[in-house]
Amino acid sequence: MAKYVVTSNTVTLNGGTVSPSVARAELVLNAAEVDVTDFGSNGWTEVIGGLKSGTVSLDFHSDFGSGAVSALFQDLVGTIGTVTMIAGNGTAPSATTPRYTATVMINSFTPIAGAVGDLSTFSVSFPTTGAVTYATA
Amino acid sequence: MTSIYSMRQALATNLATISGLRASAEIPDNPSPPIGIINLDTIDYNLAMNQGLTQYNFVVTVIVGRAAERTMQRKLDAYSEISGPQSVKVAIESDRTLGGVAYDLRVERSNVVGSITINDQIYLAAEFTVTVYA
Repeated sequence: MAKYVVTSNTVTLNGGTVSPSVARAELVLNAAEVDVTDFGSNGWTEVIGGLKSGTVSLDFHSDFGSGAVSALFQDLVGTIGTVTMIAGNGTAPSATTPRYTATVMINSFTPIAGAVGDLSTFSVSFPTTGAVTYATA
Repeated sequence: MTSIYSMRQALATNLATISGLRASAEIPDNPSPPIGIINLDTIDYNLAMNQGLTQYNFVVTVIVGRAAERTMQRKLDAYSEISGPQSVKVAIESDRTLGGVAYDLRVERSNVVGSITINDQIYLAAEFTVTVYA
């Protein structure tokens, strides 16, 4: 595996593949900075890693067809969902196409968006809850 | 989901719903006006993961007749209207899924309204840009 252009990262939501409706996918993992600066820090701040968190951000093409992505989100706001994302344009987890699994709080959905003449799209950004796991097989 | 050939055919079918206007899915050797010709301009791939969405940009060239004929400008005006039985926009958007091979389409604009030369004859023509999502 080498550098690659994103064309077909695989994204699932609650077990269903939504990739063909996804224009952009992003998973950000963070660790809080806990300040431990003291008189022994020689004039520099010192930090250690605190609690970890994550955010899943996805841009979708709206589609209200039966079972399509907009219809899928309709009843999910306020629920906990599972998002998996396979990097490297992969369809199955491997060393070069790792799969991340995140449990997320589905806290928003924008069913209607777009100006006249635009392709109808919507974006979501969900906080993760619990650990984000990583698999290569 | 789709093939370019199917989209061309379906666009021509939609266009041919205009009474008196021929439609050609491909560029004819000797176009006989009034005629609308479907040309594929550009394709934007990878608008979604797993080739979930592709944007096809077509140009529909409508040639109405010899530029010297007075009525041709009026005919071109009618084809360029936003509504009415002669409207190219209305005809092309009459089936926005192109018989099921596309998600949606839109006639974006009409431009290059003017004269073109075919076989040493000057014709009046207009181009309509059509965006197809499939």
